[in-house]
Amino acid sequence: MTTAALPKQKAPVTRISAESVPAQAFADLLNGARLYELWSRFAFHDIRQRFRRSVLGPFWLTLSMGILVATLGLVFSALFQQDVAKTLPYIATGIIFWGLLTSCINEGTTVFISAESEIRNLPMPLSVHFYRMMARNVMIWGFNMAIYVVVVVWFGLMPGWNALLFVPGFILFLINAAWISLAVGVLSTRYRDIPQLIANAIQVIFFLTPIFWSPAALPSRPAFVELNPFYHLIEIVRAPLLGEVVSQLSWGLSIGMALAGLGFTAWLYRRAHARIAYWV
Amino acid sequence: MAHISIENLTVEFAIFGASSRSLKNQILSQATGGRVMAGARDIVTVRAIDGLNLEINDGDRIGLVGHNGSGKTTLLRVLAGIYKPSGGAITIEGRVGALFNSHAGMDPESTGLENIYLRGYMMGMGRREIAAKLDDIAEFTELGDFLRLPMRTYSAGMFARLAFAVSTAAHNDILLIDEGIGAGDAAFQKKVRQRIENLFDRTSIVILASHSEALISEFCSRRVQLEHGVLKNAA
Repeated sequence: MTTAALPKQKAPVTRISAESVPAQAFADLLNGARLYELWSRFAFHDIRQRFRRSVLGPFWLTLSMGILVATLGLVFSALFQQDVAKTLPYIATGIIFWGLLTSCINEGTTVFISAESEIRNLPMPLSVHFYRMMARNVMIWGFNMAIYVVVVVWFGLMPGWNALLFVPGFILFLINAAWISLAVGVLSTRYRDIPQLIANAIQVIFFLTPIFWSPAALPSRPAFVELNPFYHLIEIVRAPLLGEVVSQLSWGLSIGMALAGLGFTAWLYRRAHARIAYWV
Repeated sequence: MAHISIENLTVEFAIFGASSRSLKNQILSQATGGRVMAGARDIVTVRAIDGLNLEINDGDRIGLVGHNGSGKTTLLRVLAGIYKPSGGAITIEGRVGALFNSHAGMDPESTGLENIYLRGYMMGMGRREIAAKLDDIAEFTELGDFLRLPMRTYSAGMFARLAFAVSTAAHNDILLIDEGIGAGDAAFQKKVRQRIENLFDRTSIVILASHSEALISEFCSRRVQLEHGVLKNAA
């Protein structure tokens, strides 16, 4: 092999000075995003790897979710004496999006820690590991959404025009999931108690958030529902898919959280991204 | 033209003791005003590289030598963009490739062929580039049908052959190598040598950190010695 055969490319010039390090946080996020080929392939590889040598493969995701949704739906509709045709679609969408949100956050806590070997040995943007984790969870969500389709067909649900609001709702949902995951990822790498704290907090929040129970069943809305950010995040995607109207409060809170959260995470990443390689 | 310019580079990092890594201690030390718990925040700052100046030109084959902990690996990681400088600056012209741990990015549960792709992507190659080099890599490893088996079934030597073959397939202007390079049994060594020579020929700048004098005198044209993060000797 000779060098002459290769096309002459202009050599890129990189300058890294101690002063420019914080400013490179955004370059890191941007350059990482550009490597979508890399992280989407690895995300796909992660899923395939998890179900290697099993007959159903990644459809186990769909099946497990189906079993969970059917069980919860049947039990709770019997327990609260509610109509299965209303309860089951509600629980199905709630659980699917709760799953996406919390696996992003839970896996976010170890997103850098588990990529230690890659971070310390391969020159590439740190954010690649974050995008890989997000892409993996969105792919898993895709498999889970098959359950929603089954439920919609089974119960003859007609979401109508409200369903179109799912698109902006889902984008807003993902932005919120992303900033929370990246922030906990950075903080967990520095403080190793945070992954445990978060795992426990999520379990508690699961019961406090209307996912398998509906606030409509309550005489009045307690503060832990009305001011629960997770409730509003779930609402902006669940309500459109069920053909319901998303409240102004849910939109407002979700947009506010996205803006404040992006600001906070940008500040955090700018401050800490250069030290992650030492912390892992 | 590849070129590296290191100006007054300083790299410092904080080493956290097991105690200060936990949030509890951080909070406790705040609550107690930091006096009683003063011992809990045992953060030691290590200055791994201290005011280093170095110009590296096109065609240089640098042998980076020094005792353990002299800053060789840190310097290579800074050049790879993994560690960031805490003082000074580096300017790099050219695409940088790194061979630090040739197993990084490989998955023992995946087959040899899959791992060629995985490791290739991680090293910055595209799908087409890997596909074009696949035959060359596969042939070099002499693993034959084993490439279709998961890598956890490989012996350590087979694993090393494959990792070496993929790692040396990339093409960059600048190549950083930590702790030597090579793989395989005695009979394989001739092929390995040839492949390294080939790789070095198409790379403008090579920086090789090693404790092996033989390796350095064979492949390198310049010798740079570090001691406690300071340039001791640069020829």
